[in-house]
Amino acid sequence: MRRGRAHRAAMRRARQRRRHRRRLARRPSALVRALTASALALPGLAFPAAADSPPTQAQSDYHYSRYSEDAVESKKVAAGSERNRYEIDIHQFRFETGLSDRVGFGMDITHEAMSGATPWYVTPGPRGEPVQVMTAATIDEARTDALLTGDYYLDRGKVTLTGGVSSENDYLAFNAGLGGERQFNDKNTTLSAGVAASFDRITPEDTNKYPTRPKEENKQSYDVYLAASQVLGPATIVQTSVKYQLATGFLSDPYKLAYVAGAPETDERPDLRNQVSWLTRFRHHFRAAKASLHFDYMFYADDWKMYSHTFTLAWYQTLFDRLQLVPSVRYYSQSQAEFYEPYYLVPRSDGYRSSDYRLSPYGAYEYGIKAEFPFELWSLNWALSAAYERYVSGADLALEKVDVENPGLVSYNLFTVGVTGRF
Amino acid sequence: MGRWLAFLILALAASGCAPVRPWERDALARPDMAWDPDPLGAQLGDHIHFSKEASLGGGPGGGGGCGCN
Repeated sequence: MRRGRAHRAAMRRARQRRRHRRRLARRPSALVRALTASALALPGLAFPAAADSPPTQAQSDYHYSRYSEDAVESKKVAAGSERNRYEIDIHQFRFETGLSDRVGFGMDITHEAMSGATPWYVTPGPRGEPVQVMTAATIDEARTDALLTGDYYLDRGKVTLTGGVSSENDYLAFNAGLGGERQFNDKNTTLSAGVAASFDRITPEDTNKYPTRPKEENKQSYDVYLAASQVLGPATIVQTSVKYQLATGFLSDPYKLAYVAGAPETDERPDLRNQVSWLTRFRHHFRAAKASLHFDYMFYADDWKMYSHTFTLAWYQTLFDRLQLVPSVRYYSQSQAEFYEPYYLVPRSDGYRSSDYRLSPYGAYEYGIKAEFPFELWSLNWALSAAYERYVSGADLALEKVDVENPGLVSYNLFTVGVTGRF
Repeated sequence: MGRWLAFLILALAASGCAPVRPWERDALARPDMAWDPDPLGAQLGDHIHFSKEASLGGGPGGGGGCGCN
């Protein structure tokens, strides 16, 4: 029998009252809410992992890092060639604050000063083994990078706009990005998406001395990013994301050569590259141990027939309710680009050629330790940090068997000290 | 690889059955539970790996180009 409109409205109001009573029954007491708020206000907990509102305090960070590459082994380098590689001093500055109850602002500035020699080309040695020829040591190279970020917070999400510039002696790049995130399921689920683009101009140096170098070239890259994160429990969260990048334009290295049929030729790579990265991140907090576990895995593939795997593990241990120690390890393995060879006996039919070690097959392990010590001074919250990382690469570390190792593979040390202040 | 993907999908699907309430999320709010508790360190690490390896890093944003690779 059809029910009248008044009856249906009454049933709807009754369902709403039942839903409201169930919601009230699940709300914690005022005491529990007060204790939870107090926990979030303790030092070290003032900035939640997944902020859904602008920062309530301004924060400023400064890091100084010293990056030092190992010298090339004498048996791998051509006689008379420079063996010492890059040394880089890196200064990083970051500032972020809330401009209103809806708007956040951030600024990142990086300045690097570089010196040293880099791999130039590879020649066959006396027994046909690949031998590295290095460039002369550079004395004065610098890079400055600036990025601005604006966040607009909605009731269950936010929108982010970024814009930046990167400048070197021979390189100028402008980039911009737009992204957003939305929370669902009582903020247990977050979906994110974003797009970004970069426009780069390359003006190689010493083109009079090396006339095969191009005088000016351009490159563009376009990114799309999608991510989903899910709270799995009171102390567990996981995120999986996919990023796609289209790179087009001048993708070769103007400073490198490839040895082809007895003579060094310019590095020539395709002018198009489609790349995909799939990253999954897992975080879990162990209350009894006062420690958190981070595990990341990334798979990468592109249409130059390269693919790679990256595994990262870190343990965040709190000691004496103040000091934090973070040991970490990382393992990386990549295959080679389709057109890569240490040197070429005959030219390829497609005209592509590159002996860049970064396109060769190899594996690498990295380990590090970081310490952070927060303290209060002048009624402000500060933190001092120090970190050391060691990166070692080799063909024998790859997941797949590699027949010939590129002699230019790099290993390095990285030392960092930093200070953070909240105002 | 397939087992990892299946585990992730099952974990995400199963987790939807029991949402964690806001007052239960104090552990998730800890700075050391952030995707990048050290943004400057992560930024430098991504830049070094981008310069010295062939892969495109994961995570949001395209970032600035550079002449480093």
